Amino acid sequence: MSKITQLHTVLEQIQDGSMIALGGNVMYRSPVGVAKALAKVGKKNLHLVKTAMAMEADLLCGTGSVSTVSAGFVGYETQYGLCAFYRKGVESGAVQAQEHACYSVITALRASAYGVPFLPIRGFNGSDLVDAIGFKTVKDPYTGEELLAIAAMRPDVGVLHVQKADRFGNCEIIGSQYEDQTIARAAKKLLITCEEIVPDDYFGAHKKADLSGVTVTWVVQLKNGAAPGACPGYYDIDHETMQRFKTLKTPEQLKAYLEEGES
Amino acid sequence: MSQYKPSDLLTISIARALKGAENCFHGVASGIPCIAIMLSRRLHNPDLVYLNITGGVNVDREICEVSTDGNSLYEDSRSSFGLTDIFDLAARGGLDVAFLSGGQVDQGGRVNNSVIGPFRQPKVKLPGGAGSAVLIPNTKRAFVWKSKHEKRGLVERVDFITSQGNVKYVFTPLCTFEMVDGSLQVKERMPGVSFETIQENTGFAVEDNGAPEMAPPTLEELRMLDEIDPQGFRDLETR
Repeated sequence: MSKITQLHTVLEQIQDGSMIALGGNVMYRSPVGVAKALAKVGKKNLHLVKTAMAMEADLLCGTGSVSTVSAGFVGYETQYGLCAFYRKGVESGAVQAQEHACYSVITALRASAYGVPFLPIRGFNGSDLVDAIGFKTVKDPYTGEELLAIAAMRPDVGVLHVQKADRFGNCEIIGSQYEDQTIARAAKKLLITCEEIVPDDYFGAHKKADLSGVTVTWVVQLKNGAAPGACPGYYDIDHETMQRFKTLKTPEQLKAYLEEGES
Repeated sequence: MSQYKPSDLLTISIARALKGAENCFHGVASGIPCIAIMLSRRLHNPDLVYLNITGGVNVDREICEVSTDGNSLYEDSRSSFGLTDIFDLAARGGLDVAFLSGGQVDQGGRVNNSVIGPFRQPKVKLPGGAGSAVLIPNTKRAFVWKSKHEKRGLVERVDFITSQGNVKYVFTPLCTFEMVDGSLQVKERMPGVSFETIQENTGFAVEDNGAPEMAPPTLEELRMLDEIDPQGFRDLETR
C-alpha cells in the first residue's frame, strides 16, 4: 500500500495539543516546511520535542501554536543568535521551556522506542534543572545506586525531512542521521517529507534504505522542506532568507512571511 | 614580530591543552573548539580522536561555515559515531574531554545556559545547556570556553546552575583558569595581559598567584590556524 499523501491530509490528522518530535538538527534537515504548514493552519498547544532545534520552535512560538518545548538547546548558532519568538514566548510565560540535556531527550524517546515508562541515566549531578523540571531519581534494585529516571516521551507524531523516499516510506538520508532513527521508533505516527519520491526498485539488493519504512505512516513530497535550512545534496542554508527572517519582530510580520512563503 | 588576534590566542591555548587528551567532543555553536581540535590534531596530538554531533569522526578540513553541526563536519568521515553514541560513551566513563560554553560561568565552575531571573517567565531565556548537564559530570574533563572575557559572563555565583561537575579549565581571550580545590584560579595569562586587566574584566575575585604568561603563538601555529580557518570564522565569537 502506498503511503504517499498530501500535506493538508496529514495536517487534518494532527490534533491541537499533539506532542511532535522533529528530526534533523538545528539548521540541518530540520522539517521547517511542516512547521510552517502547522503555523499557517493555526494549530494550538503543540509540544515540540528535539535535542537541538531552531526555526521550528521560533516559527511556531511566533504564531502562538506552542505550549511546551522539550529540548536541550533552542537557538540558531553563532551567526543568527537566539530564537527571538521562542524567547518572547518563554519570557512572557506563554511557552513552557522543559529544558533538557540533549541526552535526556534522546533517553525519553528511547524509553518510548523500548516500550518502557522510563529509563535511568547518569548525569544532572548538582543541576538546578532537576528540581525546575521535576526529574525524579530511581534506585538500582541490585546495587542501591541512585540514578536519574527519565520518563518516556511518546510523540503523537514524528516528522522527518529526508532527501529521498519511496512509496513504502523507505528513506535515503544524505549526511548525518542525527536522532532520526530514534524518533522513527518512538513516535505513534511518523510523517516523512522528502525532496524526491523514488521508484520501487531504488532500494533493494544493491542498496538498502538508510531508514526503514516499517514505522512510517505518511510520505509527502515537499521540495525545499528544510529551507531556509540546509538539506545535504540538495541545498545549503539560505542566508539571504535567514537574514530577512531575523529582522521579523512582530507576529504580523511573521504571518506575512508565512503567507508569501511558498518558496 | 608576529601579529595575532584574541581569537588566535584563545584557539591556540585550547589546542595546546589538548596535548595529552585521548578523545574529545564539541557540540553546536562551537566554532573555536572545532578549530582548536583540528589544530591540535595537526600539530600537537595526531592521535586525538575527534567527535562531533553529526557523527563525523576525525574530520580534518578547511572551515567553510559557522555552524558546527552540519554536513561539512560529516561528509568526509570514514565512519559515523553519532550523538547518542557519544553520550553513551561519556556515561560509561569513556569520554575524555567535552567542550561547553555558557552564558554565565562562576568561580566554582558552575555554568548557566538556562535563564537569567526565575526559571518560569525569566528575564532572559538563554538557549539551554545542550548536552552539558550530563556531559560536565560524566566526561573526565570538561573544557569550558568564554569567547569574551567580561564581568557579566564570569560571575561570583551563577543565577541558575544548568550544569556542574568535572570542569577542568575555563579558556578566555585573556587567560586560562584551572579548577583548583573547587575554585577557578589563573593558570596562564595571555601574552602581555596583567592580573589587573584580568581582575577588571572578571566578576569574581582573581588571586594574583604568580601564574605565568602563555608562550606566544608560534609561526607554525599561526600558519596552520590560517590554513584551517582562512576565512576567520573564529573571529565571529570574539568580536
